Order: sequence, then structure tokens, then C-alpha cells
Amino acid sequence: MFSFNFLVRALVAAVLSSFSLAIFSPFVSLRRISYLGEAFSHMAFAGIAIALVTGLNGRPVTLIFVIVLAYLIGWLSKRYKLEETNTITIFLSVSMAFAIILISLSSAYAFDLSSYLFGNVLLVNSGDLIWVGIMAVLSLAFIIIFYHQLFYLSYNAEMAQFLRIPVTFVNHIFLILLATNIVINLKAAGIILVSAQLILPAATIFNLVRHLPTVIALSAVLAVVAAVGGFALSWWLNIPTGASIVMLEFVFFLISLALRKRA
Amino acid sequence: MISISELNYRIGEHAILQDINLDIAEGEFAAIIGPNGAGKSTLIKLILGLIPLQDGKIEIDGQPHLSWLKHNPMGYLPQDEKFDRRFPATAKDIVLMGLAAELRPAQRFNANQKERAREAMEQTGCWEQARKPIGALSGGEMQRVLLARAIVGGSKYLFLDEPEASVDQAGVKNFFVLLKELNQQGRTIITISHDLHTLTSFCSFLICLNKTLHCHDKTELINADTIHDFFGETTKIVHKSY
Repeated sequence: MFSFNFLVRALVAAVLSSFSLAIFSPFVSLRRISYLGEAFSHMAFAGIAIALVTGLNGRPVTLIFVIVLAYLIGWLSKRYKLEETNTITIFLSVSMAFAIILISLSSAYAFDLSSYLFGNVLLVNSGDLIWVGIMAVLSLAFIIIFYHQLFYLSYNAEMAQFLRIPVTFVNHIFLILLATNIVINLKAAGIILVSAQLILPAATIFNLVRHLPTVIALSAVLAVVAAVGGFALSWWLNIPTGASIVMLEFVFFLISLALRKRA
Repeated sequence: MISISELNYRIGEHAILQDINLDIAEGEFAAIIGPNGAGKSTLIKLILGLIPLQDGKIEIDGQPHLSWLKHNPMGYLPQDEKFDRRFPATAKDIVLMGLAAELRPAQRFNANQKERAREAMEQTGCWEQARKPIGALSGGEMQRVLLARAIVGGSKYLFLDEPEASVDQAGVKNFFVLLKELNQQGRTIITISHDLHTLTSFCSFLICLNKTLHCHDKTELINADTIHDFFGETTKIVHKSY
């Protein structure tokens, strides 16, 4: 019974986590900000290290750290007229360096680095599952409620703002939800793999379809299928779940490329 | 009425616009002409609030321009709209963008808004392209789609930044005929243009700009000598025949 509950919980976490990231992926792809997923997840690693050293609750500390850092990058780039992608890359690397130093200086030598790098869906507990579930609902609600604003923000943010579409507000919520999604799903998906799950579903579906609502729906379906398939593969072959999901999504991506070529 | 007073704009030490005082009355078909680097686009972008004002005052209908722009739709056709040709939008989606400010969260475009988009697209002659992906539109078709977006919100002002740039020669005259129609329906048109020959047939007010301002109420007053005196060697009058 214990084993069954534990497995179901892990499967549900994998499905919800993949779903939340996938429905963001079309907008991440259209806005060409896939590097943000990578940046947020690496910054989150520093947040985790701070929580570990200070003994504070990991998730809120990580989330606050990532959001503060994201706004700091925006402010620095604007204030000193820096190229934003350069600033992001600097902070991404510095966050990782800072985290590694903190962990090595702390007494937390039992810290399992690989489970944070690659994720471990089997470590997800009931509390985590509730958070992953809340994020899936919030992400879906946000995309349904602000679909048109997100659509025009992705088309041309400057023109959308000129046309009085509330894109600044929607963009802030988008970035905060994106960061939250990454932090919440980090345990299940892992720092390195979370960004793949934020790109691959939409990259695959865009090879086949160009109608955005369809792309969002099919990205979610593809991510769920990959989560279930990847979970089964990991169980069957005894390999890490996050990696199996990403590999399966990559196989789907290759198939979509082949179909696109034929089309 | 658009009123600009004592407007100056600099980039670093370089003066882009100097001591601009200008009133554009409602119903005008005004054209801004001048050599490259004269500050034409900067002037339009300042009026539209796309770049912040440094010195001077701009009022629209007696209100500070930013406050007016916050509460009213404004028609604007940019010179070169940045977009990804593979972006999954149809021509109609882009026209509806001009009405998206009316949507509350979770709202979709209603029948009335879709009808207004259809009317704007019919008026600018691009309704047949409504369902086409934007990547499949020609430069001229996209220009008409963007013009439909600029007028769909019902703004009484319409700004255009070199609208002839992406239209072929034959299309330019038709485009200006369309602008004249919109002007006769009560819209105030302010356009940047290099095509003086076409402008003289359509415009009622010519704004000659080269950092400083020189205006003519009637375009007939402008001839090659006047332009030459004002802009010097930097400008050539090109007569085109369509």
C-alpha cells in the first residue's frame, strides 16, 4: 500500500510538473526567452543553498531569492545600459558559484547535489504535491484569463503597450509565475532538466501546428504523455525519471522534425 | 488639436529637435518632410509618448499628451513594425490587436468587436486576407492590415511613419487615396513622407523639418526652390509618375 501511494504520488507529481511547464512553453518559445528558464533554475540553486545554510524553509527563500534577483537583473541592465542577456548569464554563473561555495562551507555534506541537478520525482512528498498541483491550476488559470494579453505581448511588446494593452502587468505576473513554476517543480524536474521541459513541448508542436490555442493544448498533452511514458520507462529500465521524460520529449521532437520536413 | 510648444530634444550633446512650436488642427492632412536625420520620426514618437519628453510641452485636445494617450485610442502606423514572420497570428488577429485594450481579463473578442475589425479591413482593402497567416502577406498587404489596426479603435488622429516605404510604386498612390478618404471621414492625418510629388496632391499642411521647423498651410506654396532653400543640398525633389 505504501509503495503504491508513493508511486502514484510520484507519477502525479511528474504529470503535473510537466503540464505546468509545458503550457508556458509556447509563450517562452514565441518570446525567445528560453534562456530565462535556465537562468531561473540556476538562480534557484543559490536560493536552495541559502535555505540550507540558514536552516530556513527552502521553497519561500528560493522563490524570493529568484524573484529579487530577476528584478535586480532588470534594474541593473536598465540603470547601466547593459545587454540583458549578458547580465542574466553573469548572474546565472555567479548564482551557481555562490551556491557551490555555500554548500562546501556549510556542514551539509550529506547534501545530494545530483537530486537537485537532475531532479528526483520519487523524493516528492504530499506537501510538495499540493504545491505542484496549486501551480498547475494557477498556471492554467493565468493563461486562460490573460490569453489575449499574452498573445499580443509575445507578438510585439512595445506596440502592445502603445495600444494600451496591459502588457507590463501581465509580463510581471508571467515572469513571477515562470519563476515560481521552476522553483516548485525543481525537486521533480531538476535544475538542468526543468529548462528542457520549458522548451521541448512547444518546439515539438510548433513543427506541426501554428494555431496558438492548439499549440498550448497539444504541448500539454505531449508533456503529460512524455511524463507518463518517461515514468514507465524509468520504472522499467531503472533510470532517473526526469531524464527519461526529457529523452522521451526529445524523441517526440525528432519525430516532429521528420514530419515537418515531409510536410 | 495637437499643440507642441518650445519642444527641444537632444541625444547626448547632439540636438535632434530645436525650438519646435506647432499646432495641428483637427481635420488636417499634414505631412512631415525633411532629410534623413531631420528628427521626423523623433517628433512623431514624442507626440505618441513612445520616447520621453525632455523639454517643452505637447498637448492633445488641451490635455497633456501622456494623459490623453492613456485614456484614448491613437492610430499609428509605424515605419517598420518588428515581428516574427512565423508568429502564429492571422491578419485579423493583428487588426483585433487595436481593440485588445477594451478586453477585460478572461474576456474574448465579441461579435461587435469582430464586426468593427471586418469594417476596418474592408475599408483598407485587406478583408480577403483576414484568415491568412501574417507570414504569408506581402509588404503592401501587411501595410493595409496595420492601417486597419490603426483605425479600428476609432481614433480621430492617425500617425503614419513613411507608409510608402514598404509599398510598390503603383501602390503608393492608392494608399494615399485611401488616406484621403479617411481624412474626409473626419480623421486628422499626420504622415512622414519622402514622396513630395504624391503629397502635393493630397496634403493640406506641409511641415518641413530639419531640426527646426518650417510650415506651409498649402502645399502648392512649396516648390523645388523653397525646399532647396530650406533643406540645402541634402534633399532632392523626385518626381514620380504613376
